[in-house]
Amino acid sequence: MIVAAPAAKDRVKFNVGGRIFETTSTTLANAGRDSFFGPLFDENQSAGGGEFFIDRNPDCFAVVLDLLRTGDLNIPPNIPERLLYREASFYGVLDHVRSAKWGPFDGNRLRYSKSISGTAPGDGTAIRAAPDGGCAVAHGSIVHVYDWMLSEEHPPLTLDHQRVNDVIWVDPENLAVSACERLGRGDGGLGLFNKTSGRLRFKFQVTHDNQVKSFTAGALATAQNPNHRIFSSCKGRSNEYGIGVWDQFTGKQVDFFYESPGWSLGDADRLQWLEERNCLLVATLFPRKDNCYISLLDFRTKDMVWSWSDVGAPMTVDERRVRDGIAMEGNNAICVVNEYEDLGFMDLRMNGGAIRWSSRSRLIMKGRMPDDEPCYPKLALHDGGQLFSSMNDCISVFCGPDMVMTSRLRRGYGGSICDFSIGGDRLFALHSEENVFDVWECPPPPVI
Amino acid sequence: MSNQKKRNFQIEAFKHRVVVDPKYADKTWKVLEHAIHEIYNHNASGLSFEELYRNAYNMVLHKFGEKLYSGLVSTMTSHLKEISKSIEAAQGESFLEELNRKWNDHNKALQMIRDILMYMDRTYIPSNHKTPVHELGLNLWRDNIIHSSKIQSRLLNTLLELVHRERTGEVIDRGLMRNIIKMLMDLGSAVYQEDFEKHFLEVSAEFYKVESQKFIECCDCGEYLKKAEKRLNEEIERVTHYLDAKSEIKITSVVEKEMIANHMPRLVHMENSGLVNMLLDDKYEDLGRMYNLFRRVPNGLLTIREVMTSHLRETGKQLVTDPERLKDPVEFVQRLLDEKDKYDSIINKAFSNDKTFQNALTNSFEYFINLNARSPEFISLFVDDKLRKGLKGVSEEDVEIILDKVMMLFRYLQEKDVFEKYYKQHLAKRLLSGKTVSDDAERSLIVKLKTECGYQFTSKLEGMFTDMKTSQDTMQGFYASHPELGEGPTLVVQVLTTGSWPTQPSSTCNLPSEMSALCEKFRSYYLGTHTGRRLSWQTNMGNADMKATFGKGQKHELNVSTYQMCVLMLFNNAERLSYKEIEQATEIPAPELKRCLQSMACVKGKNVLRKEPMSKDIGEEDAFFVNDKFSSKFYKVKIGTVVAQKESEPEKQETRQRVEEDRKPQIEAALVRIMKSRRVLDHNNLISEVTKQLQQRFLPNPTEIKKRIESLIERDFLERDNVDRKLYRYLA
Repeated sequence: MIVAAPAAKDRVKFNVGGRIFETTSTTLANAGRDSFFGPLFDENQSAGGGEFFIDRNPDCFAVVLDLLRTGDLNIPPNIPERLLYREASFYGVLDHVRSAKWGPFDGNRLRYSKSISGTAPGDGTAIRAAPDGGCAVAHGSIVHVYDWMLSEEHPPLTLDHQRVNDVIWVDPENLAVSACERLGRGDGGLGLFNKTSGRLRFKFQVTHDNQVKSFTAGALATAQNPNHRIFSSCKGRSNEYGIGVWDQFTGKQVDFFYESPGWSLGDADRLQWLEERNCLLVATLFPRKDNCYISLLDFRTKDMVWSWSDVGAPMTVDERRVRDGIAMEGNNAICVVNEYEDLGFMDLRMNGGAIRWSSRSRLIMKGRMPDDEPCYPKLALHDGGQLFSSMNDCISVFCGPDMVMTSRLRRGYGGSICDFSIGGDRLFALHSEENVFDVWECPPPPVI
Repeated sequence: MSNQKKRNFQIEAFKHRVVVDPKYADKTWKVLEHAIHEIYNHNASGLSFEELYRNAYNMVLHKFGEKLYSGLVSTMTSHLKEISKSIEAAQGESFLEELNRKWNDHNKALQMIRDILMYMDRTYIPSNHKTPVHELGLNLWRDNIIHSSKIQSRLLNTLLELVHRERTGEVIDRGLMRNIIKMLMDLGSAVYQEDFEKHFLEVSAEFYKVESQKFIECCDCGEYLKKAEKRLNEEIERVTHYLDAKSEIKITSVVEKEMIANHMPRLVHMENSGLVNMLLDDKYEDLGRMYNLFRRVPNGLLTIREVMTSHLRETGKQLVTDPERLKDPVEFVQRLLDEKDKYDSIINKAFSNDKTFQNALTNSFEYFINLNARSPEFISLFVDDKLRKGLKGVSEEDVEIILDKVMMLFRYLQEKDVFEKYYKQHLAKRLLSGKTVSDDAERSLIVKLKTECGYQFTSKLEGMFTDMKTSQDTMQGFYASHPELGEGPTLVVQVLTTGSWPTQPSSTCNLPSEMSALCEKFRSYYLGTHTGRRLSWQTNMGNADMKATFGKGQKHELNVSTYQMCVLMLFNNAERLSYKEIEQATEIPAPELKRCLQSMACVKGKNVLRKEPMSKDIGEEDAFFVNDKFSSKFYKVKIGTVVAQKESEPEKQETRQRVEEDRKPQIEAALVRIMKSRRVLDHNNLISEVTKQLQQRFLPNPTEIKKRIESLIERDFLERDNVDRKLYRYLA
């Protein structure tokens, strides 16, 4: 015989804002010791036999209790999300809410979630997904930071009100912002900010010949392994072009890779750290420069261990110029894209090879060519396996060993996509015309 | 409408600002501060967790996180300062107890405070780079209590004092000790190491330095080791009881260094009780202790091994070179075996069968056993002795054990071929005289030699056994074909294959006519069945049983050698014979004849002959008579020949020479083998290769190798290189 009622010892009665809830300590234990419910069941803080009063919103408590019971999040329409988040934060179960809200990332299961519009004038420069599902959006000289709830903005960041070139998350709490220098004042450059407080924690400085110089910081990359480095493409005023390297925690400069004549590092469009190879990929592309330069730098030997450039290559009729490039370490390849969204591949193991353009990936897009403000294609990788490419107002997903297109993501509103980013199991796409970005996420796992 | 007063609608500013009551923060903080006080004063039961949590939550929410955090720091600090005072005030013994009690209180309080301020811990602290509440509580405890000037050194001294008291035999409160040490570890490994472990190790080193000095002055080696072992175990136990497990290796290495490493030579060489004395007295327990302790320090075992080796070499050298001991080969070998047994059991019982010690033992034996050139001979003699008589009544297993031990000694020999020579001689004697007690034992030993040295080594020995068997069959066949020989003397012939047996210069003699006729019959019978063979009589190796009747009618059966038989037969026809007459009639070589006469005329109890004049030595002019007065209580009398069991000096030289002769072809064969595969080789490498190949059997002399090379060059097997004279070439 199974006894219908659980042992009385296990039962807990709450009075939340006047409503009575009954649950079990087993259910509440799902919240963890570091939640509001944790201390209630310690020996020294016995809740007693009676009910436990909590001066909070009962509707939200019901949602939280259901979350603890089932692991599923169901927010009734009468409860504003913001209110629910606040209550979850009070109980210390915000992380539970976050992980119940959307599922693990898969490019082919993405659903449009919402669009967020902002007030910043002008074009968006960059959008960067944060590890926890939030994001940072750079417009002109200001960076707006959103947490994963997207309902609330943290204080906006600015580096001496100089034009922002790139943003990167160093960890869930801190982000680095690169900006143009301002002649003669040491403004701009590269700074590290705290997300929540919006405070500038320190600036990364560049020293040439024992003199601190001001510089324009461009594309950014980080390396967690080894040594927590941050890399930036740098332009100084006296031809001090190259890649600066700093320690993420101390902000101290640890290295500088000077650009050699006839090559380009200080104007890079993209930096990418290759962990297995212990190398940094630097890509400088048309139209920022007249020619394209992609190289791999090894900082231990101060060597350019791999390089490719289209200098001197004959221009073909359809003029396939490389507009973005990204290394796929697992495939020993660098993937590039041209303005027609053709994908091309180069072998990382061979120096001086040519691009193998893939016709299978190409989708004829004639007739939908960009109107007045073209946005060039951009690439992104997820876990090395799925490749994403943005073109006009679309993002294409490519999978498999031959990188075949498997999905397209499109939202009509806001014009072309000027930048997109994947992180925290979400995809963010920033539109160029209206000040708006879209959030794409995968639904939580099915009920059955 | 015109006089209608224009109403001025004025929207008044909203007087209640959205921001809560300006005193809100102070009020809320007061509540929380009060709660913290209550918690520290053990009055927490009256507090509402929900209310306090909500208050702390609201403060953070309304951006008073900084106020909350700094309030917490200052409130906790002031409490800790109070606590510090009460701990300082604790007198004597109660100091640690008070510290422990307060530490427990603080931990409980800290947990409650942390629970109340959980929201701050989760949101405000990470984004403002502050120390989390729990860690903050530990840090404040460290700074205000452990590092307070009045507590820090007192705590350290108290702890060290307790350890010292425990070392000197007092019982201390280990539970309390464990709690306090645990507290230091909870505060971070740096605190444990800096505030306790470092000093603990220093004080321990000093303590053991003094103590070991004291012990070494008044204890003998065994006692000292016992004490050191006890101390070591105590320290290990101490670590398991109340120190950090990581300290074990540190404190044991301190004890090891102070008590063992620093005194190693003195301990090992301690007069009347050091290692040598332990070895002499078979003190397994002490030796085992020494091994286990010394193993822990660098070069410890090396020290033991070196002393053991040099002692072993010294005693072994005395054993094999003492002229007194050389008189009795059996005793000589037995002593070697005893010595080996002794050390085997020491290594087994005390040195945990350490391979390096076993190797040292082997090396030492190899060293001194070969110091005496006669070792191979003696070992063979020992075997001879055992197989002649020693194995009677011994079980088969024991035989095996003895033989195995002999094999082990054999393994140590460098000149295995010399052993082989002697072994062959001794085996021949045993077989021919029918003295061997156990055929199984003989064969078992040959199998052992075979596995040790290969087929080549034993094939001739096995041939000897075959000869013995065949001869038995031959004799049966001979008598079966000559039934008329039933009467008269019986002849037993052993047909020995030339080459298998130790060849001796065949010195024939004139056999008595009865015997020589019989011999002729056998010869014709044998050659009739085996054509193309040649028989030559080895009269020096034979023996005879004779029936004799003496003057007063006493009858005896005499067991004599063939030579002695020839001599005695002469007296059937003569009363008196001079030495010259005997020599002429028998043609026995003079030295042999003298020995056989000596054994018949000069040995008391066996003197079947009488000699004139009566002297010990045989002279050319002596005369011999049958000793009519001969008497013996036995019917059968065995008359041995006066032969030294050990080889005489000239015999030794001869054996030696024969060994050297035999080595020549072996060296040459090795040289050719090596050169054939290498084609070109320089002198030094060739020498070392040859030595390596041959050391299984013997250690070749480099001069001899050089001679053999010269000989091979003469015979066009090798040539010297024209340019580099040190290089040899093989000529196909």
